[in-house]
Amino acid sequence: MGISITRREFGRGSLILAAAASMPGLAKAKDTALTIGVAAPFTTLDPHEQSNSPNNATSRHIFDSLINRGGKAENNPQLATNWNNTDDTHWEFVLRKNVKFHDGSDFTAKDVVASLLRARDKPSQSFASYTRNIKQVTAKDPHTVVVETTVPDPMILNSLSRIRIISAKYAKADVSEFDSGKAAVGTGPFKYKSYMPGDRLVVTRNEDYFAGPAHWSLVTLRILPDNGARLANLLSGDADLIENLPAQGIDRVKGSSKFDIIRGQSTRLVFLGMDIERDKTPDITAKDGSPLDKNPLKDERVRRAMLMSINRKAIVDRVMEGNGTVAHQFVAEGYAGHSDDVEPVKYDPEQAKKLLDEAGWKDGFRLTLHGPSGRYVDDSQVLQAVGQFLARIGIETKVNVMPWAVYSEKYNDKLYGVYLASWGINTGEVSNPALALVAKRDSKAGTGRYNAGGVDDPRLNALIKEATRTLDEKKRTPLLEEVSEITFNNLYLLPMHYENVVMGAKKTIKYEPRGDKYTLAYEVKPA
Amino acid sequence: MFASIVRRLIQALFVIVAMTIIVFIGVNVIGNPVDILINPDANQAERARLIAHLGLDKPLWDQYFVFVTGVLHGNFGNSFVYSRPALDVILERLPATIELAVSALVIAIVIGIPLGMYAGLRPRSPISRLIMTGSIFGFSLPTFWVGLMFILIFAVQLGWLPSNGRGQTAELFGVQWSFLTLDGLRHLLLPALNLALFKTSLVLRLTRAGVQEILPQEYIKFARAKGLREGRIVRVHVLKNLLIPVVTVIGVEFGSLIAFSVVTESIFAWPGVGKLIIDSIQMLDRPIVVAYLMMMVVLFVCLNFIVDVLYTLLDPRVRIGAEG
Repeated sequence: MGISITRREFGRGSLILAAAASMPGLAKAKDTALTIGVAAPFTTLDPHEQSNSPNNATSRHIFDSLINRGGKAENNPQLATNWNNTDDTHWEFVLRKNVKFHDGSDFTAKDVVASLLRARDKPSQSFASYTRNIKQVTAKDPHTVVVETTVPDPMILNSLSRIRIISAKYAKADVSEFDSGKAAVGTGPFKYKSYMPGDRLVVTRNEDYFAGPAHWSLVTLRILPDNGARLANLLSGDADLIENLPAQGIDRVKGSSKFDIIRGQSTRLVFLGMDIERDKTPDITAKDGSPLDKNPLKDERVRRAMLMSINRKAIVDRVMEGNGTVAHQFVAEGYAGHSDDVEPVKYDPEQAKKLLDEAGWKDGFRLTLHGPSGRYVDDSQVLQAVGQFLARIGIETKVNVMPWAVYSEKYNDKLYGVYLASWGINTGEVSNPALALVAKRDSKAGTGRYNAGGVDDPRLNALIKEATRTLDEKKRTPLLEEVSEITFNNLYLLPMHYENVVMGAKKTIKYEPRGDKYTLAYEVKPA
Repeated sequence: MFASIVRRLIQALFVIVAMTIIVFIGVNVIGNPVDILINPDANQAERARLIAHLGLDKPLWDQYFVFVTGVLHGNFGNSFVYSRPALDVILERLPATIELAVSALVIAIVIGIPLGMYAGLRPRSPISRLIMTGSIFGFSLPTFWVGLMFILIFAVQLGWLPSNGRGQTAELFGVQWSFLTLDGLRHLLLPALNLALFKTSLVLRLTRAGVQEILPQEYIKFARAKGLREGRIVRVHVLKNLLIPVVTVIGVEFGSLIAFSVVTESIFAWPGVGKLIIDSIQMLDRPIVVAYLMMMVVLFVCLNFIVDVLYTLLDPRVRIGAEG
């Protein structure tokens, strides 16, 4: 890392340059700096090593993919200009011409082949969920690539939108070479300048970006996981935009003339999962602590009563300070698989009591709610609130939260009767969460990995299977809609809310938050 | 002296072995790093491949054996999270922490010793009382709160100093340092003061106590009777005798400054090892945790040794390794 220029100094320099640029005859793209406070740490610049949202969001600054994933999960052209499937397992991509890497070399089909195969074959296997169906990648000519899949894969475009294209000459480079900048050479909107792991990444504008140069000539992504530090960065003017504006800062930012709150809805669904499979389930007893002879959660009326008793609107408005939106199914309106026939369950504690009574649980029972702390937005406070709502209809509830490192393994091993969980639906459609959360658990087929409640509905299984091999969107969407209807009209999961994206920004900045929560400097515009 | 060093090295070795075993078992009990690292969409086969890639498919004793063999070859293993050698990741961050800790220590000594001596020599003056009351605040106010207040006042309200980060750095001996540039110093000031607050109070109180203990001693009276100037008495006879306990405490406290600077580092987003280690514990990144703790054990052993050597320089009666 060389001597880095701080934003303040840069700002000073930019004034002079801006003055120069305003003189006639010196018209040039303006020098502007942008500093973003990132909440979740990215860990490497090697775009194929570790797949998680902070890493994948960061790599988009330097690298492009074949497909550009839009903020509402739509597939737009990026390095591929158009594509079509020649048969069920062959996809042909026509590549963009005259695109250059940051080092000046030409972008061609061999870079695509090298990148896709590298992502597939890396020992860390972190991108396997995107590459598992890729059988072969071949360059038909310098500007056409054919991707062959092992099975018909309707999600291949989504998968390819996750895999960044690197220069073929760095296909053998290791993580250190990317982190040091030597191999961090992409075609993306920004070029590597310096990187200090755990601290910051500094990039400069790629003036020759094919989609037009970015507004910002110098972008700093600062890693600031501490809420107080991130907020202070915004308030003191060091950062222009911060992710996850902490709840305690909302009032300050709202009352200020200099800052704005930027809100948007994410595709992360938070739900209560419950054991609907076993006759005896852990943590559920009669009120005197004696074991029950049956599992009340198997009764759909009990689950409905539980959901009815929870005032989710109050939770998102008060407990989460507006950082959530009440959810009724996997995805919100506008995403593939959203169904109008899913009946929203309204807050109605009286009706909830009646339902419990009808189901034979007039006296209620006792349960323990399990959940992580610090993993989802206000997770432990949300659980406390849920516990109190359940207590009001006679379900005596104890709340047990634990660190994610402890919880992550255990909730999935069916150790809990009722648990708080979440799924970030980055594909923006229903097959992805359905496959993981409500398909029958089958380790060979890889379905139901997080189906900790033991959901096993034959119709649902058949629909999901059919949807995962149907390429035609017109046939696929109705299948997904029915998946949503079966899951949520039977309340196999109790939907709680979608987490909102809440950012703090200077008033001089405009940004449209994305469903996948990525913060992309290229999409940040001046107000 | 040589025998004493050998004895210490053996002791340190035992501590390191015990510590690594505890960390291995401890991390294993908390949870499985694979569950944290893995992409939630991964299937069973992909999960198995990741487990094998990280070497977690072997039984725990076998993993430990692989680790020990690696350490003997100078390899502490690859970080699960950063996918790079654990030692590299730590060494990259260590200068930032050392810089912060040394700055805090210097502040503590430069402020603590003179003020402590003043308060000890003139215990009844109003200024001494003010100093002593101030030191109570230094002791009792929690570091994180003071840090937040510093940021609120100096960065947010007044805008004099940057709120956090390391600022501009310059290279010396192949390492990046903040204190070499003006911007870096501005960034360093608040966190160093924050970290120094407690230590300053500690040094101040130790110094004052030492002065009051030394002043009634026979040799001070004798020096006065001999007609030595007050300045010389304070400089030579009081200060030198006083430094023995102060050096001990500073030596041990320097280790704790490095090892426990995590609060200050988090609040000021200072990219040091303290922050790294907390993140690593949360991510169950065992190689980093083990390598870091090993370094800390070695550091504490070295510091204690340096303190002992300093004793002999300050007090010729003390001999390293002397029995009894």
